[in-house]
Amino acid sequence: MDRNQLIKWFKEPGRMAHKYSLHVIYFCTGCGIIEIPPSITARWDAERFGIIPVATPRQANLFLITGYVSLKTLKPIIRTYEQMPEPKFTVGFGSCPINGGMYWDSYNTIKHLDKYIPIDGWIAGCMPRPEAIFVAVTHLWTLIDKEMADGYKRYRKNYRYYRANQEQLYGKLDWPPLFPIEDEK
Amino acid sequence: MRELELYFGPQHLGMVGNFSITLKVEGDRIREATANPGYLHRGFEKLMEYRTWIQNFPLVCRINVVEPDHMELMYAMAVEKLANLEVPERAQYIRSIFLELSRVASHLFGLWAYANMLGFDTVAQWAMYHRDLVLDLFEELTGGRVYHIYIWPGGVRRDFPEGFQEKIVNTLHSIGGCVPDYDDIFFNNRLFSERAKGIGKVTREEAMALGATGQVLRATGMKYDIRKVEPYAAYHQVPWEVPIREEGDAYSRIWVIRDEMIESVHMIFKLLDKMPEGKVFNRTPNPFKWKIPAGEAYVRCESSRGELGLYLVSDGGDKPYRVHFRTPSYPHGLTVLEKVLKGESIADVGNIMISLYVVAPEIDR
Amino acid sequence: MSNSIKENLISSFPDIQVEVPEKDRLKINAEKEEVISILSYLKNKRYGHLALISCVDWMEEKEFELIYILSAYLARDDEYTDRERLNIIIKTRIPRDNPEFLSVIPVYENAEPYEREIHELFGIIFSGHPRLIPLFLEREYEIPPFRKDFDNRQYVKDVFDKIPSVL
Repeated sequence: MDRNQLIKWFKEPGRMAHKYSLHVIYFCTGCGIIEIPPSITARWDAERFGIIPVATPRQANLFLITGYVSLKTLKPIIRTYEQMPEPKFTVGFGSCPINGGMYWDSYNTIKHLDKYIPIDGWIAGCMPRPEAIFVAVTHLWTLIDKEMADGYKRYRKNYRYYRANQEQLYGKLDWPPLFPIEDEK
Repeated sequence: MRELELYFGPQHLGMVGNFSITLKVEGDRIREATANPGYLHRGFEKLMEYRTWIQNFPLVCRINVVEPDHMELMYAMAVEKLANLEVPERAQYIRSIFLELSRVASHLFGLWAYANMLGFDTVAQWAMYHRDLVLDLFEELTGGRVYHIYIWPGGVRRDFPEGFQEKIVNTLHSIGGCVPDYDDIFFNNRLFSERAKGIGKVTREEAMALGATGQVLRATGMKYDIRKVEPYAAYHQVPWEVPIREEGDAYSRIWVIRDEMIESVHMIFKLLDKMPEGKVFNRTPNPFKWKIPAGEAYVRCESSRGELGLYLVSDGGDKPYRVHFRTPSYPHGLTVLEKVLKGESIADVGNIMISLYVVAPEIDR
Repeated sequence: MSNSIKENLISSFPDIQVEVPEKDRLKINAEKEEVISILSYLKNKRYGHLALISCVDWMEEKEFELIYILSAYLARDDEYTDRERLNIIIKTRIPRDNPEFLSVIPVYENAEPYEREIHELFGIIFSGHPRLIPLFLEREYEIPPFRKDFDNRQYVKDVFDKIPSVL
């Protein structure tokens, strides 16, 4: 560790400990699940970056959405995201959450994922290599240092618009709103 | 006791892939199970009707994520049948070697999933590492680790580069030399046999009535393998055997997977010895203006999960008219799973599901 | 091998057309009332593996075409004969305006998910099916999605592009 790191550890130990131990929730949402097991096993070891998979959303603070999202999958994704405790970060993995990718004209996939939940960063590729995940994690560390990884704060502030988009897609939703929505004056 | 309804849903540690099962349980025993597919439905067959024949190749290999090469082979064989294209002999041998390497990689992935779910982390790490060595070979040959787009109507896309044959032999020797270690730690382990013997038993009559093929059927004692029933590529040129077991439970299915991996490795060595020289593809007509005469074709092959088939209809234009894949996980995940789960305990659901070798994107397409 | 099956079929069902389009494939064009009896006949002759039930939408001719593909399992454990290489393809046509058909579950037990899928993607009703509920789709569409008059790209413009982005 050099002097900059030591200073950061003394000034903000909470944030440093938080960013060097991101726990990923184990949810295989799409195609991209094929490059996650190589990343977390012995060859491209992700645990040296502090990333390990955990079982439940209550224990996690990083959500990797791997691959395309269909209409049926978006509901568990929203419910999982809302159950994670704050501060939490999301990363879209692959080209499909960015703008539809290869299935841009399918009737059953979501084209732009950040209309429904907030996303902190994207990884392009089909499939991205395991090294791309590690580059994305180091970028996320820089963003956390500068306090620019604020997806969860945006969700709290603009919850009215996110919930309106979700209801425009699905009609009435089964779960109540996460934050209270005031009526517009 | 009261009956409860539980969701073995998409976000679960025992679930590989995006699939959900609704369980009606009483105490610890399952009374009824319902499979809920559809989380990965993209409407593939409708998307393929909007793209020309050549533009469909990058699309068709993404149906099955774990093993994309057999899908490319099916589409290429069906297009060759409709358009009357010939494949040179060296290309048939290269196709067989490529498909057997893909089968080894897919079985190692299945071994990771199964061992991870049972709790044998050491074997899971080894299997993933050896699979990465095979993916390095793919990357040198085709440029991509996961999606290759290598098999083309009329042959394969390019020939082996310099020194590639020695690399295949060295990699397979280093994987095959670890088989005694795998046997010691996992396959002959008493814990594995206690947890897997007698679980998820499928009799031969049930398997035949429910449309099962692949390991589910070979673990009941029938040597049904499309590579022997209706040979394609270069499988009839070398001698090889179909491995079977007798009992039909999860233990036998995992042993059949292990025997198939070893048989594939031996088959690759024999094919490399016998491979002739020559060119590797015949030119197709101009792909921008390619119109294929009207007709229909049904082709089938043996993927690493069972019998894979493709029904293709053309109406004389430059786009397919109807494409329908018959995937092996469709009967396994929908009819066999619901029948086998009755009477088992909740702790064995992941065990049975991974030993039936179900891959969720294949069901939904 | 396929010639002897062909002669047996023509002698038992005089109205159908049987042809051998290529090696190891047998094609049967039948009327919709005869399909179940042809399937039971072939199942008794040991063709017990229903590989696929498919459907093609011929919009200009105003008909749906249902396709059943059968093959045989091994009789003895390690003997590969010509009987297992043969694939029998049975085709029938039903009108497009009022599409309904009989379910083949009494003959082949694994036809259940295939018929559910064809019902929700093409709109054909199979009478006698125990649970004809949606399999893959999450919502109802006015025109079933795999018919030729459902336009994918127009649907994407109407539903997904109209949702506004958040900042």
